Amino acid sequence: MSPTTLALIPLLPLLAAALTCGLQNGRRAAALAITAMLGSCGLALAAFNQAWGMGQGEHTTFNITWLEVGDTAIPLGFVLDPLNGAMLAMVTFIGLLIFIYSAGYMKDDRRMARFFCYLSLFAAGMLGLVLANSLLLLFMCWEIVGLASYLLISFWFHKPEAAAAGKKAFIVTRIGDLGFLIGILLAFKTTGTLTLYDGGQGLLETLPTGMVWGMQASGLISLLLFMGAIGKSGQLPLHVWLPDAMEGPTPVSALIHAATMVAAGVFLVARAIPLFDAGGTLPVVAWTGAITALVAAFIALGQYDLKRILAYSTVSQLGLMMVGLGVAGVSVGMFHLLTHAFFKALLFLGAGSIIHGCHEEQDIRKMGGLAKPMPVTTIAYLCGTLALVAFPFTSGFFSKDEILAGAWATNQPVFWIAAAASLLTALYMTRQCLYVFPGAHRGEHIPHESPRIMTVPLVILAVFALGLGGLAKGSVLAKLPGETAHHTTVVLAVSVAVALGGIALGWLIYRGRALGQAADPLAVTPLVRKLWFDELYAATVGRLWALAVVIAEQLNELLLFVRDLTVTLADRIGTGFAVGGDRKLIDTLAFDGMCNRLRSAGHAVTRPQNGFLPGYLRLIALGAVALGLLVALMK
Amino acid sequence: MTLHHYLILAAVLFCVGLMGAFTRRNAIVVLFSVEIMLNAANLNFIAFWRYSENPALLHGPLFTLFAIAVAAAEVAVGLALVIAVYRHFKTVDLEAMDTLREE
Amino acid sequence: MSEQIAFWMLSAIAVLGALVAVRKRNLIHGVFALMIFFAALSVLFLLLLAEFIAAVQILVYIGAVGILLLFAIMLTERVTGDDDRRMTSRGWFWGFAVAAAVFVILLLPVIQQLPSPEAAQTIDPSVKELGHKLMNPYVVTLEVLALLLTAALIGAVTAAQGVRMPKEEDSQE
Repeated sequence: MSPTTLALIPLLPLLAAALTCGLQNGRRAAALAITAMLGSCGLALAAFNQAWGMGQGEHTTFNITWLEVGDTAIPLGFVLDPLNGAMLAMVTFIGLLIFIYSAGYMKDDRRMARFFCYLSLFAAGMLGLVLANSLLLLFMCWEIVGLASYLLISFWFHKPEAAAAGKKAFIVTRIGDLGFLIGILLAFKTTGTLTLYDGGQGLLETLPTGMVWGMQASGLISLLLFMGAIGKSGQLPLHVWLPDAMEGPTPVSALIHAATMVAAGVFLVARAIPLFDAGGTLPVVAWTGAITALVAAFIALGQYDLKRILAYSTVSQLGLMMVGLGVAGVSVGMFHLLTHAFFKALLFLGAGSIIHGCHEEQDIRKMGGLAKPMPVTTIAYLCGTLALVAFPFTSGFFSKDEILAGAWATNQPVFWIAAAASLLTALYMTRQCLYVFPGAHRGEHIPHESPRIMTVPLVILAVFALGLGGLAKGSVLAKLPGETAHHTTVVLAVSVAVALGGIALGWLIYRGRALGQAADPLAVTPLVRKLWFDELYAATVGRLWALAVVIAEQLNELLLFVRDLTVTLADRIGTGFAVGGDRKLIDTLAFDGMCNRLRSAGHAVTRPQNGFLPGYLRLIALGAVALGLLVALMK
Repeated sequence: MTLHHYLILAAVLFCVGLMGAFTRRNAIVVLFSVEIMLNAANLNFIAFWRYSENPALLHGPLFTLFAIAVAAAEVAVGLALVIAVYRHFKTVDLEAMDTLREE
Repeated sequence: MSEQIAFWMLSAIAVLGALVAVRKRNLIHGVFALMIFFAALSVLFLLLLAEFIAAVQILVYIGAVGILLLFAIMLTERVTGDDDRRMTSRGWFWGFAVAAAVFVILLLPVIQQLPSPEAAQTIDPSVKELGHKLMNPYVVTLEVLALLLTAALIGAVTAAQGVRMPKEEDSQE
């Protein structure tokens, strides 16, 4: 695999994005984007093939110098190892299927060409992120991906909720990104390099040592990087954007907010796991993940929106991946990431098909009886559900089992939390399926099956959702670093019991109820209101913001007061002089003029942005003077 | 004549230009001033070259040549902007162009 | 000796020309003062043995920039500027002060007594050599400059042409 072919993997979608942004014709744009993705997928599978031939811990890198400042060179480059080889294959393959599905889903949208432009941009950013061999390049792609996510969530910007959801996603993830950025700067400060692997010189090979701000450097850096991962992967407490992101078109939810982008946070932790290891911060990752998994699964119980339930389920599963990384290392977490990507993309695409068939209805209370008119979608959706609830011998079962085993071996409280989250997962999925598929239809329109272009990807994904886990388990666990725990009988029993128990519990609660008309026993107020997270933030962060405004106003007042005080003082002194001395000279020339100068200076201090162009020029020159003085004094 | 003579002359010319740019309110005069500053900088280049250790490299004249070309482009674009602004505001008074101000 | 006399005279003309150019109320007079400044600078370049630059200075600045400025003035303001409005901008004193501060900063190297080398006596900056340099090591720069000038030309034309209002387009359709 030469560097050029590797670089082509992200560049092909980027090229497609550049070409489609000028197109008007949606079908042509779709064809272009799908072709690019197909090429990218082929290359990625070749890369995967090569990476899978490597031993554990092996990698090949391609670095080029991007920027030289003095003696410091900042290289950018790509790395290929089993970790991102698997990720590449997964992203391009699922991406390809979702691109094809989107061609059917969006075919009536006037801005279809623009949609494929954004999707291609996203794919380019995501693949760049996966391949990056430098924290800097990774961060750049991370931001491209964030931008694409924003554009796609608010794709239907004429809906106010969609526009607001896009903004919310962008701002909330930005909070995490700030930590990520500080982490990058800190890593550069302590080690002088941002390259991950560089022939023994890279960041992950040397590992920062020493203390920063009273903490171990690698521990602090890893925590800051984890902050970025929390934002991107929707972990508590920054999970609030992900459910709202479901306002975007459904293929977007499937591609970005289930399979790939939200997994970027997990991938980041997996990529930088030597840092976490050295810093001893893996328990933080495990605990954050476990609590997120439990809380999100709880909230999912009380939701009525088909996609929102899946969104909370995604948050919960991402939490489980973090647990996997935290308790058992890269292989276990990444294994769940891979299997989850397939079955969650399947579930979202199935949900899209259901929504499409019910004439854009998303409320599960107005569905029901869809099994008969939509047989393919129903069967595919049920396959995804089984995988998600970890029904024995589906792919979700194998990966979740590894996580539980790892947690049992190292951290028993986390094990029980994760098991409880799994029980709730089975419960809310059973509830959802009982609402949607059996019985009589409760909506106003007659449901219909989706076109072939949408059902074929569903079937392909369904096959993977059922079979991938068992087939890939051995090689994934062997190729990726991390220790797999011994499977005790307790773990196996609990794992099977929570899956079957959750389904049985759901069946018992909802069997024979008049769904949609009577009150739902589980949709109690705290869960419907999502445990008041949004209200909490509005009350705290919003208040804080208002407080900051008040403080800024007071500061402004203070400055104005100081200005007036100075003017008055100068005036007093001036009057004193005027009485005693040459009234005419001092009054007219020095002090009145001086007071005016002071007044305008005060004005300049309090309101520098006055739109007065010569003023801006003067400020620039003042900066130059300060710089010159600094240089002169430093000598 | 030493290098310092030329440097001080260039500094004086530069600051005359700076003063013009900072104190006049006519946008065209500000452009004059910018030209004066650029010329002062060119004088510096030529002076440094003349007094350098290896004038045969011709760094000074080459750089000045490029600077003059860029300055010519700048004047053309600058004056075009002044004319566009004049068409919009009906004046070239810098104090009238305050639409950036927060109200 | 004659070199010294020439330097001092030319310096005086250049500074005066620049001062008049930025302080004159009548913009047309200002442009002529500016041209005198350009000419004085051109002779100063000759004094420094940079004859090609001196020629370019006259061609580009007096020939092109000066005329361009004249046109711009005639296209915009009342030519003589003989109204009674303020000539200076608000808070001009601060502008003056900042310019003075920059001057002090620029003089710092001299104040700090940096060495002032003497000029080399034999120097042959022939135009031929300059041409060789432009065509050989600096050819990329030259091409980029050509591109820049073309872009500036197009940009200037578009900017000065003004934006056609959408309303007009609608009425044309």
